[in-house]
Amino acid sequence: MAEMQKIKLMSSDSAEITVDRDVAERSVLIKNMMEDIGEQAMTEAIPIPNVSSQYLVKPLQETNLPPQVNEAVLNKVIEWCVHHKGDPPATNDDDADSRKKTTDIEEWDQKFMQVDQEMLFEIILAANYLDIKALLDVGCKTVANMIKGKSPEEIRKTFNIQNDFTPEEEDQIRRENEWAEDR
Amino acid sequence: MPPAPNKDDLAATWNFLQVGVEKIMTNLKDGVDMATYMGIYTAVHNFCTSQKAVASGGGIIGGNAHRGAHLLGEDLYKNLKGYLKGHLEDLHEKSKGHIDEALLTYYIREWDRYTTAAKYTNHLFRYLNRHWVKREIDEGKKDVFDVYTLHLVQWREVLFEKVNKNVMAAVLKMVEKQRNGETIEQSQIKSIVDSFVSLGLDETDSTKSTLDVYRFHFEKPFIDATTRYYENESNQFVAENSVIDYMKKAETRLEEEKNRVGLYLHQDIMNPLMKACLSVLVTGHSPLLRDEFQVLLDTDRQDDLARMYRLLARIIDGLEPLRTKFEAHVRKSGLAAVEKFATEGDNMEPKTYVDALLEVHTQYQKLVDDAFTGESEFVRSLDNACKEFVNRNKVCKTGSSRSPELLAKYTDALLKKSAKSAEEADLEASLIQIMTVFKYIEDKDVFQKFYSRMLAKRLVHSSSASEDAETSMIGKLKEACGYEYTNKLQRMFQDIQISTDLNSAFKEYQARLLDEDGLKKAVDPSYQVLGTGFWPLSPPQTNFIPPQEIVDTYTRFQNFYFDKHSGRKLTWLWQLCKGEMKANYVKNTKIPYTFCVSTYQMAILLLFNDSDTVTYEDAQKGTALSAEWLDPSLSVFVKAKVLIPFPENAKAEPGTSYTLNYNFKHKKVKVNLNIVVKSDAKQEVEETHKTIEEDRKLLMQSAIVRIMKSRKHMKHVVLVQETISQIKSRFTPKVQDIKKSIDQLIEKEYLERLENEELGYLA
Repeated sequence: MAEMQKIKLMSSDSAEITVDRDVAERSVLIKNMMEDIGEQAMTEAIPIPNVSSQYLVKPLQETNLPPQVNEAVLNKVIEWCVHHKGDPPATNDDDADSRKKTTDIEEWDQKFMQVDQEMLFEIILAANYLDIKALLDVGCKTVANMIKGKSPEEIRKTFNIQNDFTPEEEDQIRRENEWAEDR
Repeated sequence: MPPAPNKDDLAATWNFLQVGVEKIMTNLKDGVDMATYMGIYTAVHNFCTSQKAVASGGGIIGGNAHRGAHLLGEDLYKNLKGYLKGHLEDLHEKSKGHIDEALLTYYIREWDRYTTAAKYTNHLFRYLNRHWVKREIDEGKKDVFDVYTLHLVQWREVLFEKVNKNVMAAVLKMVEKQRNGETIEQSQIKSIVDSFVSLGLDETDSTKSTLDVYRFHFEKPFIDATTRYYENESNQFVAENSVIDYMKKAETRLEEEKNRVGLYLHQDIMNPLMKACLSVLVTGHSPLLRDEFQVLLDTDRQDDLARMYRLLARIIDGLEPLRTKFEAHVRKSGLAAVEKFATEGDNMEPKTYVDALLEVHTQYQKLVDDAFTGESEFVRSLDNACKEFVNRNKVCKTGSSRSPELLAKYTDALLKKSAKSAEEADLEASLIQIMTVFKYIEDKDVFQKFYSRMLAKRLVHSSSASEDAETSMIGKLKEACGYEYTNKLQRMFQDIQISTDLNSAFKEYQARLLDEDGLKKAVDPSYQVLGTGFWPLSPPQTNFIPPQEIVDTYTRFQNFYFDKHSGRKLTWLWQLCKGEMKANYVKNTKIPYTFCVSTYQMAILLLFNDSDTVTYEDAQKGTALSAEWLDPSLSVFVKAKVLIPFPENAKAEPGTSYTLNYNFKHKKVKVNLNIVVKSDAKQEVEETHKTIEEDRKLLMQSAIVRIMKSRKHMKHVVLVQETISQIKSRFTPKVQDIKKSIDQLIEKEYLERLENEELGYLA
């Protein structure tokens, strides 16, 4: 068997990380680029530039985290990709049903996601940018599990969110969503 | 590469993107460096995730609450679409400078460039596809596509709609050139086909594609042009060439068109293209082809017949008229073949007749197999024709029973011992041929009658050439007509076998009964006991006093037989019996002659043991034979010079006397005097025909009774029909005869007339 091709990735803070090509290609972005540009991508380090983190949730802004795929995050992402490099590609059917219905996370991923909140959101943002659907799913499920079973107040507390609703607005929303209350 | 734009600034972002997209679109061959690639992807990503657009959308909660999170990208999408439109309009402008092959080259070159770029751009705008486009499509927007599809849709709407007619005209020109024998760049057409197919987008589901665009813009004009081309060509060709040449041409053209599909067309066109070609090349000229069919048959041009078959087999109802003509032709050939011998009348050799029938059948069977691929409908036409000429021809003008009679006679000739007996294998082959003719015989009962009579003779006289061949023939008849048909024939074989055992048993019995002296005196007999019902034999038609010399022997046998089977009756068929006599009286020979004679002749000759001269009257008295049996026997003796008549040359009649010829001479020691008289044979044929009539009446009556017994009552017409269908495997009954049979049954009170032309069964 031929030696697995190596690819260099460069984080936003200019750290070069060398990975196997099939690991890097868990990212659809990189996979497509390899297809399109080819040779050049084998030799030069691929820059993984900054990602805007402001879009997802407000509190992140306030934490003043560097909105970048830095070395630590990139390493974490690669760790996940290495573990999952043999996974079969998700089919469209999976996409439609099973993925949406379950918040189950396999054991390894659960452990993997036991990181601080900042890192968790950085991973999610990186996965979104790099187009690694399965990792994005795991990240979002982890966040979903953090929300599950909590009252609005608790959720606000968990994610450090300020309540910007007026009492009237809040009452209206509660009435509209009464049907969904867990009774 | 300019610096990355501010993610909130649409104009800046688009300006940045447009430079990249333009580069990919127009200058991809120089490659895209990684920085540009990542820059564009990131710019799209950043724009779609920017904060400002959220605000412009009216906030997360509020106006867009029903959609959940607001996704950005519409502006980018619209800008991209606008860019593509401009680009394609430009392409269209430039296309005006090209026609024909140059236009094709231009179209293909631009298409390849454009679609390659589309693939790149699709990747670069993937973030837009994943979020904004996906959401739009999920919400049921029909006019939003992923970026790659957007490229195709734009190509179709802006460029394709305007140029496809000219492109297609160029394609058709090229194909016409190729049909005219020129060499063309086939791959160009293939590229055009691929392009047209790619543009077939399913409006309702962008992940699926349809062939609609291709069918409308390529297939339809292509088929139309093909039809026109071959209409012209074929009309001109048939005007200047023979039909035979035209068929070759048509076949070649059809093959060419079929190959054309594989070379550079879409597989989907195969059916419509073939249909169009067949319609023009074959259906359009089918009357002409059919007119030629008779000519080809008459001149026996197998290859051309095969070609015509292949062509017409491919169109609907193409072959039916041929089958009708073929059937008529085979019938005519069969009749003509028979006509050659018809003048020979009754003296016709059965072999000649059967061979003539077979020759026609073989010839056309081969034609059907070779030229018409043994197609079942043609086989049926052949069968119909054969049935016609086998049963109704010049030889059969007296009735259809002549064919089975001659066939049976020919079979007899084959199966009988003769000087030129055929080899086993040849014999079997001949029997198979006989069965071929037999299959077509309508009056199978006639064949059966003649066959059984002749089989009886072969068995009684032990004159079969081969027992295996006899068994094989009966096996074949059984296979063709069933157990009932051959039942009696098989019983005849059994009787012969049983008789052999019986004879050895009798020999032992006789040995026990007689002393040595008695055994010496006794004649050495052999008996055949034949079941009355199974053998087509009748008791002697003349009185006869068996000579005393054999009386003891056969009385002993009778005793032996009745001992074994009490209650049975034995009738001696003297006319079939024969024996051998030693002529010890003859002078001038060391070894006495042996005469092979019939029992009747034996009785006559034995009279000369008592006296050298016997008068006609003495012979009559001594044997009790009637003149019709006595006279021919005497004539045979006179002719062979065993007896000398007085007066000289006197006929066998009262007044003539006969003297034993002591000076008898013959070149062989064994002299056969048991010669069948000719007039006998003819009489027998007539007799057989007569019994056939009788048997048929019985067959019809029993069929009617069988039917009525199970149905109890029935309309007259229906009964007649039912009867015909039951017995047509044996012969084709006349309605008149069936009616007669019904009347007879009513007379005999098996049936009664009811109202409404119904008949009832009386138990």
